[in-house]
Amino acid sequence: METNIAELVQGVGNLVTLPDVFIRINNLVSDPNSNIADIAKVAGQDPAFTVRLLRVANSSFYGRSSTIDTVAKAVSIIGTSQIRSLALATSVASSFEGLPNSLVAMEDFWKHSLYCALSARILAKQLRGCDADAVFTAGLLHDIGELVIFNRLPQQARDSLLLIQDTLEELPIYQAERQIMGFDHAHVGAELAKQWKLPQMLSECIEYHHDIHATPKYLREVTLVHIANILAQMAELRTVDIDDVPPIDPSAWEILGLDADEMIPMVIEQAQAEIAEAEKIFLGK
Amino acid sequence: MSLHRLPLPLPGFEHIKRAWNNSYDAFSARLNPGDYYVTKSDECVYTTLGSCISACIRDRISGIGGMNHFMLPASSGDNSWKAAGLSASTRYGNFAMEHLINEILKNGGKRQNLEVKLFGGGRIIANMTDVGVRNINFARDYIQTEGLRVSSEDVGDVFPRMVVYFPLTGKVRVKRLRSLHNNTIVEQETTYLHNIEEKPVSGDIELF
Repeated sequence: METNIAELVQGVGNLVTLPDVFIRINNLVSDPNSNIADIAKVAGQDPAFTVRLLRVANSSFYGRSSTIDTVAKAVSIIGTSQIRSLALATSVASSFEGLPNSLVAMEDFWKHSLYCALSARILAKQLRGCDADAVFTAGLLHDIGELVIFNRLPQQARDSLLLIQDTLEELPIYQAERQIMGFDHAHVGAELAKQWKLPQMLSECIEYHHDIHATPKYLREVTLVHIANILAQMAELRTVDIDDVPPIDPSAWEILGLDADEMIPMVIEQAQAEIAEAEKIFLGK
Repeated sequence: MSLHRLPLPLPGFEHIKRAWNNSYDAFSARLNPGDYYVTKSDECVYTTLGSCISACIRDRISGIGGMNHFMLPASSGDNSWKAAGLSASTRYGNFAMEHLINEILKNGGKRQNLEVKLFGGGRIIANMTDVGVRNINFARDYIQTEGLRVSSEDVGDVFPRMVVYFPLTGKVRVKRLRSLHNNTIVEQETTYLHNIEEKPVSGDIELF
């Protein structure tokens, strides 16, 4: 099984690559000798990223009223480690354009991911010492394994979807995938994260968002993404009925110390209010 | 599984796939596009709808009832189903509705007791002409022409749906499905559409 997944992901190695700007900023952020000016310089060398960065900096995401018109200003108000998250978040959708599929419209796929990212970010702001931008990026990436499966194993992916449509009970897609293939999109996504050498927090969110109790280190972030994934489905379906979506792990809210009844409607409503602007910024709509 | 005995199907419905369902504690009959199912037993009928429509009809006194699952084929040169009287496409819709109602009446249902619910007709592909609304309009109009009333419905909007119906009690559960399922549902409905367009309905329908 392990080798299968590794081979599967190696097979897309040439089709999906991490954006150069992320790799370079990532190196600078990890380098104690670098400063904000270095990061701004690297960011400014990528025109597409510059445009997105300024869009984000001027959006309601950062609640600024003054105009941010230079990369240096944007980097200083957003913060260096957040810039690294954004470099990944704003380019991941285009990174996967080389991996098309006929099962699910890319637009629908990324809309769900974006809802998850927004929900995770909204929840993270309720917690102390939680990097909301990093969790946002984790939400955006949580299902990337799906895109590999849809592209490389279209028949099995199709069978998984049909199994869900044929099953009267709520059958989450990862369980359908396990029944059909013996592994699921979280395993595949984790392998991709490993090959990309993504930060451990991100790879844990990708790998354990359906299995939070197996999380080695970043339980809080993984739990945020786990809950955000379900709330994202509710936001998409415009429902407040938890029976319409797969269950949230019974201990998840307790892990975060948040109140479900208070959070669920608040997060859904806010994510629905933010989705249109977020689509413009992150999906280039 | 062996603890639960599958109720005998009414004649003509032997081909419909049924299985025991633990969460509903009942047998469930699964409908595909073009199917319909009528029962007197305490079992449920379910299906997945994109732009197709399902009418759930039952005799509210005796509990006999069932569900269909259909869509109108697009007949060439006739975009409006109302336009040319009995076009090929309305003929198909009439066929689907009449089969369901006739089977209910044939098995003891009374017309004056019929209770009708409508589901589906979603617009699940944004840039496509809204075939869902055509199906909804047809079904509503049909019910009205028959002198019946729609007692509840969940139609239109952008979601595919899974509909679970208990004819004996009239209970319905509608679950919206994620956009993840749009393409596979459209694919199945398109295959079904090609089939019915190639084999147009002919002949008369026996009326009760």
